[in-house]
Amino acid sequence: MAHVTKAWALLLALSGASTVLSVAVARGALAGGAVTLGGAAILALSWAKARTILNAYLRLDEAPAFRRGFGLTLALYALLLLALYLAG
Amino acid sequence: MTDRPNTDGSPFDGLPGDLMIWVLIVSELLVFGAGLAAFLGVRLTDPAGFAAAQDHLHRAAAGVNTVVLVTSGWLAALGAQAVETGRLARARGLLAAAAGMGAVFLAIKWAEYAGKAAQGIGVETHPFFTFYYLVTGFHAAHVAAGIVVLLLVAARAQAREVEAGVAFWHMVDLVWVLVFPVIYLLR
Repeated sequence: MAHVTKAWALLLALSGASTVLSVAVARGALAGGAVTLGGAAILALSWAKARTILNAYLRLDEAPAFRRGFGLTLALYALLLLALYLAG
Repeated sequence: MTDRPNTDGSPFDGLPGDLMIWVLIVSELLVFGAGLAAFLGVRLTDPAGFAAAQDHLHRAAAGVNTVVLVTSGWLAALGAQAVETGRLARARGLLAAAAGMGAVFLAIKWAEYAGKAAQGIGVETHPFFTFYYLVTGFHAAHVAAGIVVLLLVAARAQAREVEAGVAFWHMVDLVWVLVFPVIYLLR
């Protein structure tokens, strides 16, 4: 299977997981701290999707130094979003 | 995969594609990134109001749009690979299909906006919707521009142009996977 096709399959799986989690939260299947954990998991899944697009679709896998730089910046940004979410 | 000769010893030689398309990608990510951080910042002032407003959104439709856009990105990536190996007819077909999926994304988005308008929900209904229309509307404008870019580079089928056009499309995809959870999913 081609690299981009594997990435596409992974993106579909991650998107499905995000949607299932959010539907569970919206329908009240999760409560209290589990809702917050669910939100944090949704953000983590989003971070994984963004990394996959950068590395496979935008081909940063071919440029390890840039992949590390973008990866670090994206991780810091995801942590900022997580902090803002948890503060709410 | 294309081997690129090191022509001037620039530290950016290793980047896949033209430096300028990466400048554009980083600029767009900064703009949308600031918008999403501001959204979560303003949410701190009224978490209950933001949650109530979010219940008016159609999460399933946005989830379908995520699948549509990442699939479109996959088709565009395959199109870029095809043009690099000289399979121009296949490349044109894949890029046109990617643009078509972009049109599907916009059609779903249009239905979403029409549904909000029918409920009397506008930009000034609540700060949530101000951000919602601003961020998703700006993203939709990029999708529309990306469709035009994909069709133009498909028609000419020149490797460098296709690579740049497809990179723009992936940026649109990348922005959406950040917008989708923050605006539609987080409670």
